[in-house]
Amino acid sequence: MSDAPADRADADSAARNAEGDGFFERYTTRALVAGVTVAVVVTLLLAGLLFPDSLAGTLADALTSRNTLAAALRLSVPIAFAALGGIFAEKSGVINIGLEGLLIISAFSAIYVADVTGGVWIGFAGGVVASTLLAALFAVVTIGFRADQIIAGLAVWLIALGLAPFASQVIYSSPNTPTVATTGTITVPVLADLPFFGALFSASPSVYLLFAAVFGSWYVFERTAFGRWIRASGENPKALDTAGVSVTHVRYAAVLISGVLAGMGGAALSLDLGQFTGNGPTMVNGKGFIAIVAYLFGNYNPVGAFLSTMLFAGLDAVQTVLQLQGIGIPRQLIRITPFVVVILVLALVGRTRLPEAAGENYETED
Amino acid sequence: MSVTDRARSALSRLVDASATERILISTAALVLSILIGAVLVLVAGRMTTCTAGEAVYYFGTGFCYDPVVVFDRLFLGALGDPLSGGWSPNGQFAVTLRETTLLLFTGLSVALAFRAGIFNIGTQGQMVVGALATALGVLWASSLVSGVVGTVVLIPFGLLVGAVFGGLYGAVPGLLKAYADANEVITTIMLNFIATGVALYLVSGIFKDPESAANQTVPLPEFAQFPALLFGGRQDFSIVALGFGLLAVAALYYALEHTAFGYDVRTSGVQPEAAEYGGVDAKRTVVASLTLSGALGGIAGAMYVMMVLGTFQTGIPAYGFDGITVSILAGNNPLGVGVAALLFGVLKSGTTVVQFATDVPPQLVGVLRGLIILFVAMPEFFRLLARGLPGTGSRPEAVATDGGTAGDGRGETDE
Repeated sequence: MSDAPADRADADSAARNAEGDGFFERYTTRALVAGVTVAVVVTLLLAGLLFPDSLAGTLADALTSRNTLAAALRLSVPIAFAALGGIFAEKSGVINIGLEGLLIISAFSAIYVADVTGGVWIGFAGGVVASTLLAALFAVVTIGFRADQIIAGLAVWLIALGLAPFASQVIYSSPNTPTVATTGTITVPVLADLPFFGALFSASPSVYLLFAAVFGSWYVFERTAFGRWIRASGENPKALDTAGVSVTHVRYAAVLISGVLAGMGGAALSLDLGQFTGNGPTMVNGKGFIAIVAYLFGNYNPVGAFLSTMLFAGLDAVQTVLQLQGIGIPRQLIRITPFVVVILVLALVGRTRLPEAAGENYETED
Repeated sequence: MSVTDRARSALSRLVDASATERILISTAALVLSILIGAVLVLVAGRMTTCTAGEAVYYFGTGFCYDPVVVFDRLFLGALGDPLSGGWSPNGQFAVTLRETTLLLFTGLSVALAFRAGIFNIGTQGQMVVGALATALGVLWASSLVSGVVGTVVLIPFGLLVGAVFGGLYGAVPGLLKAYADANEVITTIMLNFIATGVALYLVSGIFKDPESAANQTVPLPEFAQFPALLFGGRQDFSIVALGFGLLAVAALYYALEHTAFGYDVRTSGVQPEAAEYGGVDAKRTVVASLTLSGALGGIAGAMYVMMVLGTFQTGIPAYGFDGITVSILAGNNPLGVGVAALLFGVLKSGTTVVQFATDVPPQLVGVLRGLIILFVAMPEFFRLLARGLPGTGSRPEAVATDGGTAGDGRGETDE
């Protein structure tokens, strides 16, 4: 790495080569997980078709239900937004473990601003601003003062975990806020009446915003110079530096983007319900950490991260449907399934290759 | 051998050189966090409403909360008001020591893992598992013995059960990290959620005390709990438990600094490659340190059940997360954990005093916890700050060079 090539094109190709390492082995475990998922779903659907009165029948009903898809989309919004944010930060070389904190602070701020101004979308913007400010603090601490990224990320989480209920208590005398207007739904006529996929056309605006963000992130990484800089900043910062692009600026930009995206997720989460609940782990309840697993499992690809989020969220949605239908699984155990799945996925995917320089501070030699 | 020796000397130089600096940074981080906390209290005091008579005035502006009162209650209140006369060890001071005892164990749990280069965010979950196991195990065993014999037998038994189950729960992320390369930060956080969820399920179902409305197990008999020697029983503090805690501090310090296991742990934490080259079994060290770390968390849970609650109840306070702060503030040094645990014991116990005396929400301490971690994580900030101050710049800068020169004579705290 010491004889870094001196022009931009080489920096990019260095990033690409590094990404290729170990692709095959990771590809096979992912393919395995995806294959098993598809096989289980198909078997269930078939069994449900053949024996509609059995447990398989109930499960098949749940899987093909429009409500399940609608719930999965709704549940995946905060996780997927945070995951996209995490991809930006981590690809640039800054591990942002504080996504959970960004979701918490934006979820509360969105409700607060919406409550004060009366505008749902002003509240949404307020949430994004709050999250971006916290991300900016994280950026200054880790990039400017070269703090340990993991510890600083933990600090961001713990600060938000204390600050949001604190503020709620000060303003509303309760860790839970009063309810405000929600974002509502956008319904496309005719298409919304489709049997299963109709849920795609009758959803909260934040779902469509998420689709746009997934595509936008993919486009930035695959088609723009900025996307290549971010990758090079995480894989081979020295080469990027030699090519005349400031690693520091790229990393600041990437962390701020992660703040914006996570902020959209947190704001969407609370405005979807119209309330922030701040007891215990707050309403965010680990979504930021699940987001990290989602993008690791999605191999830092925005589309992959979205699909793995849908896997986690889909699981959650099926449970919700099953709970309503009164299947005899205790509610408390159903709630922990996503966390168990996360551990299983991590154990199976195992070695996720971080960007070469992730977690390390970069010092310019001038 | 020469590699091992070189690694050893490099390690000791690194630790010595930064000991004084660490203390300076931890102190500065604490002071800065309290200052920011004070500003936060003032700002919050502007955002809430109160009558004109309740407000205090600074810089010609009225505030509903008074940071001076808040921090006076937080610190002096937690110590039982030693300055105002009539001090008794039985009041809030006992509560502070109780909190300190629990934080000693969670702090040591996090510190041990940190020294091995592992972020154990899962102490909270390990504590929950240890607490539940202790509550059930001791409840079962308490039907076999009774009286003073019961106390003498059941307390070590309860601690053992807590340690074993907490240790097993800590071994899970250890095995996942060693053999599946799963990131322990994520797995331990997930395991926290799982521990809380399963505990809620068990305690609201099979193991629920039928006579209680709360989600809790059947209370332990009096003889199965830590005896309240010297201190009154009302604060749920036992000097015996604190003694165990101090013993654990000394034992872990000795284990880390003077045993082969401790050497493996420390070298793996500082220089994993050199450690492996020197013959350290990296996988085994990871599993062993996380198991031991989990056992310490489990003991914290056992203490909580046998000293504080006398039963297992869902919603165990966040001692595990506070343990992270304690450990980071202590520079992951067991002796430092002793000091940092007392400090945080004061903060936690003071929180309740603040709640009684003022309207400031208790979540303030949670924010302080995050701020302290943030500042301790950025030593560079304080080095810059020290360099910026005229006259004082040279000293911290010399320490900051990390070489053997400045630190060699000052490492007394670590020796």
